[in-house]
Amino acid sequence: MNMISITKAAKVGLAAFSLAANVSIPAHATSDTLTVVVTDEPKSLDPCDTDLSGNSRILRNNITETLVNLSPIDGTVTPSLATDWRQVDDLTWEFKLREKVTFHDGKPFDANAVAAALKRAQDPALACEVGLATLKGVKLSPEVVNPTTIIIRTDVIEPILPNKMAALDIGSPDMPNDAKTRAPVGTGPFKLLEWLPGQSVALQAYDGYWSDKPSIKNATVIWRAESAVRAAMVETGEAQIAYEIAPQDGTSDHDHAFPNAETSLLRIDQDVAPLNDRRVREALNLAIDRDGLIGTIFHENAEKAMQVVTPSVFGYNPDIPAWTYDPEKAKSLLEAARADGVPVDKEIVIYGRIGIYPNSSESLEAIQAMLADAGFNARLEMLETSPWLKKLLKPWAKDRQPSILQTQIDNTEGDAVFTLPNRFTSDGNTSSIVDPKLDTIISDASKATGDERKRLFQEAFKYIAVDAVNIVPLFHMVTIARVASDVNYTPDVQAGNEIKLKSVSYR
Amino acid sequence: MSFTYLLRRTFSAAFALAALMISAFFLVRLTGDPVNLYLPFDASDATREAMRVRLGLDRSLAAQFIDWAADILRLDFGVSLWHNRPAMEVVLEALPNTLALGAIALTLAFLAAVIIGSIAAVNPGGWIDRGFNLLSQAAASVPDFWLGLMGVLLFAVTFKILPTSGFGGPIYWILPVACLFARPFGTLVQIIRGSMIEALNATFVRTARAKGAHAGRVTFVHALRNALLPAITVTGDLAAQFAGGGGVVEVVFGFPGIGKLLIDGILKRDFAIVQASIFAVSVVIFIINILVDMLYASIDPRVRVE
Repeated sequence: MNMISITKAAKVGLAAFSLAANVSIPAHATSDTLTVVVTDEPKSLDPCDTDLSGNSRILRNNITETLVNLSPIDGTVTPSLATDWRQVDDLTWEFKLREKVTFHDGKPFDANAVAAALKRAQDPALACEVGLATLKGVKLSPEVVNPTTIIIRTDVIEPILPNKMAALDIGSPDMPNDAKTRAPVGTGPFKLLEWLPGQSVALQAYDGYWSDKPSIKNATVIWRAESAVRAAMVETGEAQIAYEIAPQDGTSDHDHAFPNAETSLLRIDQDVAPLNDRRVREALNLAIDRDGLIGTIFHENAEKAMQVVTPSVFGYNPDIPAWTYDPEKAKSLLEAARADGVPVDKEIVIYGRIGIYPNSSESLEAIQAMLADAGFNARLEMLETSPWLKKLLKPWAKDRQPSILQTQIDNTEGDAVFTLPNRFTSDGNTSSIVDPKLDTIISDASKATGDERKRLFQEAFKYIAVDAVNIVPLFHMVTIARVASDVNYTPDVQAGNEIKLKSVSYR
Repeated sequence: MSFTYLLRRTFSAAFALAALMISAFFLVRLTGDPVNLYLPFDASDATREAMRVRLGLDRSLAAQFIDWAADILRLDFGVSLWHNRPAMEVVLEALPNTLALGAIALTLAFLAAVIIGSIAAVNPGGWIDRGFNLLSQAAASVPDFWLGLMGVLLFAVTFKILPTSGFGGPIYWILPVACLFARPFGTLVQIIRGSMIEALNATFVRTARAKGAHAGRVTFVHALRNALLPAITVTGDLAAQFAGGGGVVEVVFGFPGIGKLLIDGILKRDFAIVQASIFAVSVVIFIINILVDMLYASIDPRVRVE
């Protein structure tokens, strides 16, 4: 074969190739179709598992709805399937339900559906995420008064029941009661069209929706583990919205960093020497250069944290002073402790979790170096999720090494009660603090209402961070989402759990 | 190939498979308790214990093993904790994708390596040989992960002629195949080149040349037939590796194959998925090995499959 024919063949081949490519690559989406790319495939798509963000992002307010929603701005409770609610007495709440709402299977939405959803979520045999987390610790007994009125009784005083109802996604009562479903039926603006395992979930606008119809008619949710690929998909028009872009990939104008209601911190195991000395715990906080970490390892929009919840959470305390970076003071505190016989040279393990947030290993490598500079003997151990959970959750070994543990706490429910009891009371299963005084404050706050509730929660946050110094707060975190330039969508603080497809439109 | 041979191989494979499955049973359970991964942090100790009881994880390892072995003998691999479906059903959806991906990549790599390796061997040390040597060494050593991301940046983002990732028509297969192609191609070129140089200097080739056979025929028929044997052995091994999936490549491209499933299964402590995947992949490897033996015998008449 001579040179000319090779060139010709190559040209023909390339032309055929690009022709085939142009035909088969998904072209830019039409005005009513949208593709969203997330990191992980959902687990079950069961409405009672929406505490898992993978499920919630597909279901919440797309396929299924809740009685009420929480405002992403200030966490106040707003109507959804319930139009009105009131506390009848300490242990009784009444909800008035919206009329003329139907499920995608044609069944009417009524009080019986709410009662069934509540029962299902609390069924121990189903082990629903919502029942095990948000609704935990209180027995909720529904009573159907009439199709549009339901009474929910509690066995303990539940001042924020409406907030909790914002977590209960309501599926059709015809869904199986003895098993989780992969085919949810809700009242939302979209119905499930198809779930191709390992590939995608397709949603289609529901014609019978009770409120404003979405401008997107067909939405597809797909998952790619690699941040660079997710980012590239928006560039090529294969997707219009991509979540959880790593800081190093999220440098274009289409990348939006939004607060994700997560706070990163290090939990101090304060039972074990030398961490049982308050001076040593204070030194840990003073040794970390938080300003140096922002904009380098952490995103520049991350905010220095003083406590474990973000300002949008009810009970947040704005008056806790942020830790300053003072390695010299840290050293002198360690010296003072040493002089009193505290074993400050003992090795402290920093347990990290691989991939808990972008650059999680890098952040701890930097922190380890900072601690070493201040005179700590710290060793870093990065763990995969399962062994990390073993370090996070009780019971812990009695003869364990002193340790600090990298973690991240989210609160999208808007009230401090969703953060404090399990993590900072003596019997909390991830709590490393045993302090009767703090237990009392948290318990009183959980039962209180209004200003008293706020004051007590604020006191609890101050006690944890300033008096006990049980944590090394790091940052209120941000997530980066890439949004195609022709798409109208602004991710809010709930975007970690909810893709509000109804709010998405093309320009 | 005789029936007794097949029976003997099946018998020994069954033994190996049993040993493998038994070690898989104990190894996955050594990696930790799935309960903590499946329940929210806030779940109470009682709920955790209830789930352990429900999954049978509260019982002694021996008791768990006996039940598990009885289930496996009935080919019941249990229900996936994550997918909430029979594990084998999930595995059998993913396996064909991986097998097709591996088969395409390996066939192309083998064919390309035969051509490139043979051409390189004709004039060892020449500039063509040196060029191909460099190319094949680079291909054999480049990481899949890097190649995948570069492919996405170049062909999807910059030239916009290929999709970044996903699963569908032939166009979606090009980048994953190209990534999986590189390493076996590089390795096989090296092997074929070496054995071709040896074969081209062998007496039977010199005899063929002396008899006036055409140079192309000497290279591609007489010499190649002999030089292929080591390459087939290596290809068999590569095929066996591919049966387990190109994990990293499948993850990067969101390709729904067994490699990604297995990685997810391990990370999520989804024992049923891990065990069912290992079983399915082992059976495929056994079949590949038989096929390689048969191929070997058909190329070299001195080898008898018995």
